[in-house]
Amino acid sequence: MMAKTMHPGAAGIPLEAQQVLQQIETKKTKYKRNMAIAFAVLFVFMITGLIVLGLDFKFMAKWLPFILAGSGYTFLVAFLAISLACILAVVGALGRLSKNPIFNSIATSYVSLIRGTPLLVQIYMWYLALPQIGKALEGYGIPGIQRLLTLPAVPAGILALGVCYGAYMTETVRAGIQSIKIGQTEAAKALGMTTSQTMKRIIFPQALRVIIPPVSNEFIAMIKDSSMVSLMGVWEMSYRALKIGRRHFQSLEMLIMVAFIYWIMCVLLQFCQEKIEKHMARGDRRIS
Amino acid sequence: MMENSTTMVKITNVHKVFGKKLHVLCGINLEVKKGETVVILGASGSGKSTLLRCINFLEEPTAGTIEVDGITITAGEDDKKRENHILDIRKKTGMCFQSFNLFPHMTVLENIIEGPITVLGQKKKQAVLYAEELLDWVGLTEKREEHPSRLSGGQQQRVAIARSLAMKPKVMLFDEPTSALDPELVGEVVDVMERLAKEGMTIIAVTHEMHFARDVADRVLIMDEGVWIEEGTPEKIFNNPDQERTRQFLAHIL
Repeated sequence: MMAKTMHPGAAGIPLEAQQVLQQIETKKTKYKRNMAIAFAVLFVFMITGLIVLGLDFKFMAKWLPFILAGSGYTFLVAFLAISLACILAVVGALGRLSKNPIFNSIATSYVSLIRGTPLLVQIYMWYLALPQIGKALEGYGIPGIQRLLTLPAVPAGILALGVCYGAYMTETVRAGIQSIKIGQTEAAKALGMTTSQTMKRIIFPQALRVIIPPVSNEFIAMIKDSSMVSLMGVWEMSYRALKIGRRHFQSLEMLIMVAFIYWIMCVLLQFCQEKIEKHMARGDRRIS
Repeated sequence: MMENSTTMVKITNVHKVFGKKLHVLCGINLEVKKGETVVILGASGSGKSTLLRCINFLEEPTAGTIEVDGITITAGEDDKKRENHILDIRKKTGMCFQSFNLFPHMTVLENIIEGPITVLGQKKKQAVLYAEELLDWVGLTEKREEHPSRLSGGQQQRVAIARSLAMKPKVMLFDEPTSALDPELVGEVVDVMERLAKEGMTIIAVTHEMHFARDVADRVLIMDEGVWIEEGTPEKIFNNPDQERTRQFLAHIL
């Protein structure tokens, strides 16, 4: 007889095998149910905790719009910074893999320098130290350079975060590119593709799939690190929450609220990430 | 057999050294006529794959000259047009790999039209028409929208052959195309190769598939430690080889 793939319950499967299949099915359902219960219990604990703490919900509701008004900065900074970081990461990764000594050494130094210094220092560099560099350059006879290098807080924050995350993501992208088997490059070359065609059409689309999870990680971290622009006096979400909390001696309410807002943002992002990953996995062997 | 035909591939005194010492090819010469099917045999590590990969410059020969359909490249020569010549040779040669190397992020059809569109600049419509013809030819029409991971090894290798043929190559290079296949899937791939040979394609194949070597090849060459030890018609090589080492090798693999 020909060996065919049979579906559970199909005729011809012996009774004891059907029982095993049934058991597996029951186990799956049970697992799903228990997970749901566990999450529900955790949720109830959390809500109870918040009530027991005696949080002033009225106060929170009153200030919610004001704090949310700061989320614009969070999105603006995070979105522009991650865009910048992505561009830098791709260019940086190509540099790290390049055989051109100039290109390669610049990329390698960029990654080393930026990864080796604290983000906090970098932010102040862009904001406070850059004007001084401008002044020095102006002294060498480049007119107007000081004004150009004196950045407002938000652009300075975007540059600082973008450049910093770009360095970390450079390594992610490089690893992604290197994870693609050499046979893919050889097949593309054998067809007569140039190096850049091979990269663009064959290697990068496959690498993208590998680097989506770590890049989403970076994006989520970025959403939260965008609060660092408050160091430069930008009234973004966490800065607003801190200010209001301190003024009214109700820091707990404000901090919990702002933490929740960040969390919700990140959950939404994670949802997007899962969608993208599913879309990209369509070339995979499906096991079900 | 093909005395009056033109030369398609000419390899002259090719050496390949890996690192500083590993001398894999030691002055190889080979001339393949248009429409000829040549099978290269040899123990693993003898250099036959390296030779094949030197023809389309997946490996750079350390010394020697490669000529494919009138395009000549000499190793070590620093010519500005060299890169273009390499691309030209690759456009004229199709290659099939042991591990298929289909593009996993593309469907079967997309795999086949990728080369014609990206490299030859064909319109998608035109590329698809020819791809459909090729899919029909390798008997995989119904798989056109599948991704490679859903295909068996034999089917993947047939798609890989179609992908190479989509470039309308003058020469096909087969680098152990059936070595990674389950025994029952070897036949379908060899069958496609055989039809290709019958239709007049110039073929250079490294393979351990003895049926192909014996019944399809015009000429068989045996390589050992980077040199030819014997060459001749399949009848002569398999029935009455001159060299003792050929005899030993054949006894090993048959």
